[in-house]
Formats: sequence, structure tokens, C-alpha cells
Amino acid sequence: MADVATVVLTGIGLFFFLAGTAGLMRFPDTFSRLHALTKADNLGLGFIALGVAFQAATWREVALLALIWALALLAAGTVSQLVARAALGEEETR
Amino acid sequence: MDGPKFTAILHRALLLGGVWVVLTGGEAKGLALGAAAVPVALWMSLRLLPASAPLRLWRLAGHLPRFLAGSLRGGIDVTRRALAPRLRLAPGWVEVPLDLPPGGRAAMGGELSLMPGTLAAGSRQDRLLVHVLDTDAGFERTIRDAAAAITAMTDGAPR
Repeated sequence: MADVATVVLTGIGLFFFLAGTAGLMRFPDTFSRLHALTKADNLGLGFIALGVAFQAATWREVALLALIWALALLAAGTVSQLVARAALGEEETR
Repeated sequence: MDGPKFTAILHRALLLGGVWVVLTGGEAKGLALGAAAVPVALWMSLRLLPASAPLRLWRLAGHLPRFLAGSLRGGIDVTRRALAPRLRLAPGWVEVPLDLPPGGRAAMGGELSLMPGTLAAGSRQDRLLVHVLDTDAGFERTIRDAAAAITAMTDGAPR
């Protein structure tokens, strides 16, 4: 049962990563690409972490997975703002 | 040191200490190292963002379900657009006046970048620049909701 949950949830996670990558390649400009990257990859990692959590033996492993997701979320939110700000500056000086 | 500031510092110390316990699994050796690492981390965090007033933790917790639901909608929306045979995008910009304490603006930008169709790109004077993926989809409403939630969490902090 836990294995089924892991396979289904990590499968969903991989699908979101795939979609994020598709958006990164297909969207027309830096800003739109950042939308795809941050939002889809956040869900991708979230579902993969959730799926892997079903294999965890202890609560600490679950807490570690949650921590990984939270830190990646924080990093994605921060980095996307920095990249967007830099891209905007470039556009205005051109 | 006054009360709210002390509470804000205590919150950070508990958060960093909690992260350390999770990382090390609470073993004696790890905890001994943490007795040095956690205060250093706390000192660095206070240098980067001085403590003013504590976050309203129950409001933060109350906002969590809406944040998770919003980021789920955001991911699904962008996935549908990315995989659609024909791209449906109408990118544009919105400027939002903001009145948030230091740190609040970064938190706001981080949240917006995960909500459906919005992306923060820094600020000009007191206005947050938000990139919108589809100007016809009404994503701007999310911005007001996020600002209200973060204002409520940082209630009472000096601007």
C-alpha cells in the first residue's frame, strides 16, 4: 500500500517537473519562464517528497523531507525574484 | 530589551534549534555542536534582518492551508499552459503599492512567485513590480489577498 502511494505520488511529481521543463523551453521570455520553473517545480518536489515520505521509517525522516521541501521553496521564491529583478534591469538599460 | 523584540528573537532561536535537532536526529554529539552552531546562526540572522516584532504565529498557521491550495492551483495552471498545444499567454505588469516591514516584502514576493500567474520582480520606490502571466485571467486578485495575509502576520512591526 505504501509502495503504491510512493509510485503514484512520485509519478505526479515527475509529471510536474516535466511540465516545468516544457514551460521553460516553450514560454516566450525570461519572466514567463520563471513562472513555469518556480510553480511547477515546487509542486514536483512537493509530490516527490510526499511520495518518498511513505517509505520513511521514522518521524525524523519525514521531518527531514519536509525541511528539504521548505528550504527549496524558500530558495525558489527568493531566486526567482532575484532573476526577475536582474532581467528587468537588463531590459531597461538596453 | 523590550518584550516583542525578545519574543521575535526567541521565535528565531526555537526555529533554528528545531532545524538543528531534525538535522542531527537529537544525538548527544550533534546537540553539543548545535550549542555553538545555533547561536552563530541566530547572530547571523539578526545581522541580516534585525528583529522588530514577532510574527503572529497563529495567523501564519491559519494562512498555511490557503498558501498550499494557492500554490497547488498555481502549479496546475502553469502546467496546463506549458503543455497546451497552443500557448495561451498574455504577459503583463502590475505595480502594487506596498506598506510592509523589512523582510515582509521579500516574503510577499516569495509567496507571489508560487501563487497562480504572479511573479515579483523587485520594487520601484514603494511599489512592488509584479509580472502577470495572463492579464485576462484576473490573477491580480491574488496579490491583494497575499498582501493582506502578510500584513496580518507582521501586525505591529515598524515600517
